[in-house]
Amino acid sequence: MLLEVRDLHVEFRTRDGIAKAVDGVDFAVDAGETLAVLGESGSGKSVTAQAVMGILDTPPGRITGGEVLFQGRDLLKLKEEERRRIRGAEMAMIFQDALSSLNPVLSVGDQLGEMFVVHRGMSRKDARARAVELMDRVRIPAARERVGQYPHQFSGGMRQRIMIAMALALEPALIIADEPTTALDVTVQAQVMELLAELRREYRMGLVLITHDLGVVADVADRIAVMYAGRIVESAPVHDLYKAPAHPYTRGLLDSIPRLDLKGRELCAIKGLPPNLTAVPPGCAFHPRCPMARDVCRTDVPPLYEVTGTDAARRSACHFWRECLDG
Amino acid sequence: MAEPILQVENLVKHYPLTRGVLFRKQVGAVRAVDGVDFTLGRGETLGIVGESGCGKSTVAKMLVNLERPTAGSIRYKGEDITRLSGRALKAVRRNIQMVFQDPYTSLNPRMTVGDIIGEPFEIHPEAAPRGDRRRRVQDLLDVVGLDPEYVNRYPHQFSGGQRQRIGIARGLALRPEIIVADEPVSALDVSIQAQVVNLMDRLQSEFELAYVFIAHDLSIVRHISDRVGVMYLGRIVETGTDTEIYDHPTHPYTQALLSAVPVPDPAARERRERILLSGDVPSPTDIPSGCRFRTRCFKARERCAVEVPLLAVPEEFRAAGGPAAHASACHFAEERKVVPQERRGGPA
Repeated sequence: MLLEVRDLHVEFRTRDGIAKAVDGVDFAVDAGETLAVLGESGSGKSVTAQAVMGILDTPPGRITGGEVLFQGRDLLKLKEEERRRIRGAEMAMIFQDALSSLNPVLSVGDQLGEMFVVHRGMSRKDARARAVELMDRVRIPAARERVGQYPHQFSGGMRQRIMIAMALALEPALIIADEPTTALDVTVQAQVMELLAELRREYRMGLVLITHDLGVVADVADRIAVMYAGRIVESAPVHDLYKAPAHPYTRGLLDSIPRLDLKGRELCAIKGLPPNLTAVPPGCAFHPRCPMARDVCRTDVPPLYEVTGTDAARRSACHFWRECLDG
Repeated sequence: MAEPILQVENLVKHYPLTRGVLFRKQVGAVRAVDGVDFTLGRGETLGIVGESGCGKSTVAKMLVNLERPTAGSIRYKGEDITRLSGRALKAVRRNIQMVFQDPYTSLNPRMTVGDIIGEPFEIHPEAAPRGDRRRRVQDLLDVVGLDPEYVNRYPHQFSGGQRQRIGIARGLALRPEIIVADEPVSALDVSIQAQVVNLMDRLQSEFELAYVFIAHDLSIVRHISDRVGVMYLGRIVETGTDTEIYDHPTHPYTQALLSAVPVPDPAARERRERILLSGDVPSPTDIPSGCRFRTRCFKARERCAVEVPLLAVPEEFRAAGGPAAHASACHFAEERKVVPQERRGGPA
């Protein structure tokens, strides 16, 4: 297994008390596999990514428990120095907002080349040549001419390609992409997702895709983990999950989005709001919004049950997953 | 179509680009909106879709008179509102209200919700007598699904979805006939979007509102719209009923746009045909000659560089009729199905 996260806990100290942003999360990604972590804002999906990557702001954040096994080593036990060597070289991250993630006063060639200078000890001249190669690779037209330009001289889609090029530079085994196409228009989004999928196949990388977009997930993911209030509430191969969700939250999400190919019905909205993380409801965190909730849901936190009776490896944190699965 | 309530003809907005400080001279123009025509019927929803920079928000601003058009006309019940001023303009504006995209910045953080929703009554005092206003505001809160007791709270005490409800209540205050909504749900979480879309649906039938619904999300636009206009670089390139546009698109840009939308159905992955456009949208300061889409078009030929295609029903479809016979600004319009048809019976 390339990456295995076990029982990860992250807390934030806030004015209103301790917020359990990540509250016991487990997942695993294999080489060449794409795992989508799906959640709405405040579900803990980005914090999970930051904790795995080792770029969580501490304080206010604090990892209070769990293991992050990357190629067998527990990253949480490593020294910062060692983590830094891994970051960028063996695991890399792509952020949503390329403009604010790139340095505005350095040319893109310098920023791409820096990866090779810092991690591989290359000369600036060699690094520059590699930067041009990388820009070619992510299909930025006229790479040789544009390598000296600055981030603001590129369009949004091109900037995102530069981010991808930077993540790929040292051919990492794992890429974590946090909403990589959310800021882009659909036609450009399609180009970037296509590129990412192709490069992932070519290098046999593991990809963790953090997103809120059920459409993007359906397009690219192999497996999916749905997060709600800091926990994974359902995980399954993507086909099985869309065909028959085993958690009422997932079902609610699928029913609440309008479809390009369907028209007319009223959208089945999930009632209410996601909980405040400093005051997560007792029992199942979803129970106040759940149409299936019963007494036990208000008192007992559901474990991540194994969903049996299907061929696929599925899990659901619902006491009544069987009923949910049957619709 | 229902009786037209708003008719837009050849609407243009150019922002001049100038050089020099003392001797300013115009060196060009950002052609944000470059000749847009459409008609909105009473009680109907017109969806306008397009990518960022296509001019859809500028159209919205001109409709509610936040921007003055460079040319063209906007007729409300036959009267050109771009020529009105003073009292006559104010009277018209009462009937055309706007809901903004970002519920975090479009509400004044120092005003209570009651003041925000009641502010339209300050500007149009004839709409409600002073003593009646508080009750009217509470009614409005109730109509958009918020507790009427919230009148004295401030915007920061509400979630994004609730704030958008407040924005909608403000838009409804003067009982307008038309609401222009610019990306009203795109800043909201998926589970909250549906609540707000359903609310807008309900309000439309309750108050017989006509919507101009502007968004980049094609799925939401299909859900809410009766008719759809697809914009590219300041112009509408294709327009028709939702079925005509989504199931029978004839313009290559619409086809590419639709084929790029991720569909939440992994089984559609293999069945789908993707039209990947090359490159980016050209700058609106430097619009290509002829057809403005030709630089990214997979069908472009010589004719496209010289001759501007008009937005009309292409001749080859006119005689045959059917859903492909709708206005499309392409010399080589041809029908192509790009949205995969649903297999399972729809979500439970």
